[in-house]
Amino acid sequence: MAAVAIHQFAQCITCHAWSPDQSMVAFCPNNHEVHIYKLFGEKWERVHVLQKHDQIVSGIDWSVRSNKIVTVSHDRNSYVWNQEASEWVPTLVILRLNRAALCVQWCPKENKFAVGSGAKTVCICYYEKENNWWVSKLIRKKHNSSVTSVAWHPNNILLATTSTDGKCRVFSTFIKGVDSRESGASSSSNLKFGEQIAQLDLSFTWAFGVRWSPSGNTLAYAGHNSMIYFIEDVGSSPSAQNVALRDLPLRDILFVSEKLVIGVGFDCNPMVFTADETGLWSFVKFLDEKKIAPSSSKYGSQFSEAFGKLYGQSKPAINSDTVESSRPRGGAHENCISCIVPLRKPGDTIVRRFSTSGLDGKVVIWELDGHH
Amino acid sequence: MATTLRLYLTCIRNTLEAAMCLQNFPCQEVERHNKPEVELKTSPELLLNPVLICRNEAEKCLIETSINSIRISLKVKQADELENILAKKFLRFLSMRAESFQVLRRKPVQGYDISFLITNYHCEDMHKHKLIDFIVQFMEDIDKEISELKLSVNTRGRLVATEFLKQFI
Repeated sequence: MAAVAIHQFAQCITCHAWSPDQSMVAFCPNNHEVHIYKLFGEKWERVHVLQKHDQIVSGIDWSVRSNKIVTVSHDRNSYVWNQEASEWVPTLVILRLNRAALCVQWCPKENKFAVGSGAKTVCICYYEKENNWWVSKLIRKKHNSSVTSVAWHPNNILLATTSTDGKCRVFSTFIKGVDSRESGASSSSNLKFGEQIAQLDLSFTWAFGVRWSPSGNTLAYAGHNSMIYFIEDVGSSPSAQNVALRDLPLRDILFVSEKLVIGVGFDCNPMVFTADETGLWSFVKFLDEKKIAPSSSKYGSQFSEAFGKLYGQSKPAINSDTVESSRPRGGAHENCISCIVPLRKPGDTIVRRFSTSGLDGKVVIWELDGHH
Repeated sequence: MATTLRLYLTCIRNTLEAAMCLQNFPCQEVERHNKPEVELKTSPELLLNPVLICRNEAEKCLIETSINSIRISLKVKQADELENILAKKFLRFLSMRAESFQVLRRKPVQGYDISFLITNYHCEDMHKHKLIDFIVQFMEDIDKEISELKLSVNTRGRLVATEFLKQFI
């Protein structure tokens, strides 16, 4: 398991998404634009810039089958971009939000997408053909604080959300006319839109990065108290496991398979969690082998020098007698990792490659070797 | 004496490493705004418990964290009246030039001598471990500077007095 490729795209990346054939990557370089880069041989070149938002773009998702990009931003707007010829054309989304949008995800069937917002609501948007726009239905009054992350269950109906009030909730998002009533859906009595199936109050601080396992049986999310929670059988009889992390909290997680989860966060290093045969989850290891940079001891405690080293210049770490300075980590990422995206090959049930992006402006592609 | 300083600074450093996990968070109260939540304090769920680290009654450090910002307030050692005046003048000098420091707050929090306000934007532009190094180095240097200033004031006072009183010999 190692970092296969490291690309420095910008000074800071908010979020990123890959095209269906994984030749192009779309990301937000911490401003109001979305840049799309394409790999030509060995070099990455910018092919498109999507400029419609007024404030930072907080979420990007690229649908696999329909090749649509949905972007949401702190300016309360969202757009769905379709590729026509060589241009990306935005389609209006009527979000009806009065605060910033924080996260977005396409549903598995790609006929809906969910947006979590700072207005303490979740918007489920679907396409209305007559007017050529996307309209939304809101899940109101259920959250007590901003919704930080959303995740769709494989059955296309259930949606899990995490919020800064520390709770993880599961809702039904059945929309008449968009979703078909399948007899296979077990929770047929809860098929009303906005119905709360479960509320998980495991973390006493903010919750981020909720994800379902590929089968939809397990739900996992990270809490800011450096814990990660795994819940089995959410619908019928939920059983939860808390795994405490040794270091800093996580911001996003990814289910590689039913029994393998990768978590990324403020440690700048992806963490691996596995479940053994009995179903007990535990932390395995960090993905990146850390190289401790040698510290050179140099005197000097003038303010200007101390001020100069704030900018990550190649000044040696100032090592005074009484206090040791912290060592810079020698890993792939230098700053917090905020986003992890799978790179799925069509037909693969488990994910072999995934990419992470962070506040250092890098997108790093990781590959898992065979034995997990 | 030096050992308690090192323990104090290590404790502050470890607390800052844990507390400085900030992320961009738009304001929940006002649309399209982005404010440091630790200053705003309108949404209690976005604030974490403040931590107070005391070296003794005279020196302490208050660290308040929120989802997108952290406020560090320091009270420096002031043994006598002269150090009191020197510390106040020196820290006021720095605080007035807070813009060039970027992470300094113009006015210290009530009950403290100097305050820092670090937001997620600072963490995006600068490395977190270097920010923490700066704060800890600052705390060390403050003590040294004030001691030096006190020494030079006393030296100068002695020199002036000697010169002046020579005429009466």
